[in-house]
Amino acid sequence: MSDSNATTPTLRPPTAKVPLFSLGRVWTIAASTVTQLVRMKTFYFLLAFALVVVAVGNFNIPTTPAKELSMIKKVSFGTMDLFAWLFAIVSTALLIPRDLEDRTLYTILSKPVRRIEYLVGKLGGVLFVVGVSLLAMYAICAVMIYARETAFIGAEFEAMQADSRYSQEEIAEQLTLIQKQGLRAELGIAVLASFLKASVVAAVTIFLSTFASSSLFTIIVSVLLFLIGHAHTMATNFWLHQSDSNLFVQMLVKVIKILIPNYQLFSFSEGVVQGEAINYAVVSQMGMLTGGYLVVFLLLSLLVFVDKEF
Amino acid sequence: MNTILQKCPRLVLVIAGLALFGFVREPIEDRLRVKLVEEKLLLPPPGQTAMEQMSQSALMGTLGGLRSLVAVFLTLEAYEHFSNKDWEQLSQTYAVITNLEPNDEEHWVTWIWHIGINATANMEIDDRLPEFERKRRFFAYALEAVDIAERGIKQNPESATIRMQLAEVYREKLKDNCATSRVYGDTIGLPDALPFVERFHGYFMARCEGKEQEAYDYLSGLYRESERNHLPTLIVEIKKLENFLNIPVPQRIPDADPDKRPQKSNRKKPAPNELPGGIIVP
Repeated sequence: MSDSNATTPTLRPPTAKVPLFSLGRVWTIAASTVTQLVRMKTFYFLLAFALVVVAVGNFNIPTTPAKELSMIKKVSFGTMDLFAWLFAIVSTALLIPRDLEDRTLYTILSKPVRRIEYLVGKLGGVLFVVGVSLLAMYAICAVMIYARETAFIGAEFEAMQADSRYSQEEIAEQLTLIQKQGLRAELGIAVLASFLKASVVAAVTIFLSTFASSSLFTIIVSVLLFLIGHAHTMATNFWLHQSDSNLFVQMLVKVIKILIPNYQLFSFSEGVVQGEAINYAVVSQMGMLTGGYLVVFLLLSLLVFVDKEF
Repeated sequence: MNTILQKCPRLVLVIAGLALFGFVREPIEDRLRVKLVEEKLLLPPPGQTAMEQMSQSALMGTLGGLRSLVAVFLTLEAYEHFSNKDWEQLSQTYAVITNLEPNDEEHWVTWIWHIGINATANMEIDDRLPEFERKRRFFAYALEAVDIAERGIKQNPESATIRMQLAEVYREKLKDNCATSRVYGDTIGLPDALPFVERFHGYFMARCEGKEQEAYDYLSGLYRESERNHLPTLIVEIKKLENFLNIPVPQRIPDADPDKRPQKSNRKKPAPNELPGGIIVP
């Protein structure tokens, strides 16, 4: 009797209960994701971006200064948008498979880390890197726009002052036209628009990567979804017009609209770049919609990921 | 909750979740889309003709949300056509560009400028063509520019720059003073209209047959409105009309004093590094 008592292993009393959700653990995973992405030398693409901006800043086509500034902005912000969503897809698609390959995932999940914390941490890390990259790209293009704007204003002012036909009002009008296409605080909203789009793309990609068998599959499907999500408004009009609003086509269009995010909605940076006035109420609604996408796609990812055996 | 999770296949739950979210967000997104288009922050989908005319890469770019980038790329392509004086190709390229970015006035202005000013000028000097053909194409291009401008104005009803470019085509190429005056007149009061359009409206009205009295009333009204309008051209035009309309001498405006310059604006003189409009040059 005493022998059997001696052989029974003594179990440790349970330690403090693991909280359902810990921001500290999410922060740790997000920080390690950022380190992981930085080690992949992802920021090198900033060099390519800088080259694009410098190249477009030195196009010498005969056009007005305002038009040239508008072109610099369009190319810079278009490239920023492209880099942001492409980066969001590729980096998110690589992270979970990479953790599996390195066996880091087993180490993390054997600790008292909830799967939702892991997913939120990974997504947070990606979004942080996307945000920092966008800010860096914005800084590069802001320098170029400001430099060109100052040069154009100086040259235009000198030329118009030298020509006695122009009154002070006309000179001021012309300079205001240039300034309107120059560096303005509102351009920050265009950066925000690209960030919101990249966030939704990253959330959809993390959802796909929870059940995908390879990174390649995730990347291809994410890019396809992105293209469909961008085109479905255009395609809807086209199909409905072609088929005389056929019931089957209408249903098909509805299914696509319901299942695939409408990415085109997040392209409002184009209007901001063109100098249109910003309605901040609409921008904040877009922010809330993005929040909705992040929450829903994280929950869906969790639904797939929660029982996944590794 | 656990029972549902255990009994229901995950795929079904995921699809149900996606569908539920889709049903909730669809009306919200539709409303937001309408608002964004109204605020001109989002571009409406390109027209069917534009999509048919686009090359495969341009179409892919457009579908990928890179409309602005595609438009810039096409602008460079159009410049290549301009260098080669390939006006038909240039016009087709700008048709796509303006379909991609219909709210960008600069595209319309450049298109009108290329077709209405450059292509017509090229027809005046292109000796590879017989004269009758040059004349025919000259008018065809000038009228095409007018048509482009009308489409541009329909798309951007508040645009002063498109109207000013159209006025240039009427003034320089079609030599139609009445139409020039009408277009300058339409420009008055638009948000980006330059101050000279008010005077130009009158100058060209003065040269429009049958409108001399109206032009005289308008220009002398401008003259009386402010001493700042006592500009040499305005005085010369009024003098010409006074002679033409036989206005009695007491009612005529005084001759321009050659020593008296038009009154300067009473705004304070800008600092050496300050440009008009309060712009500071670093």
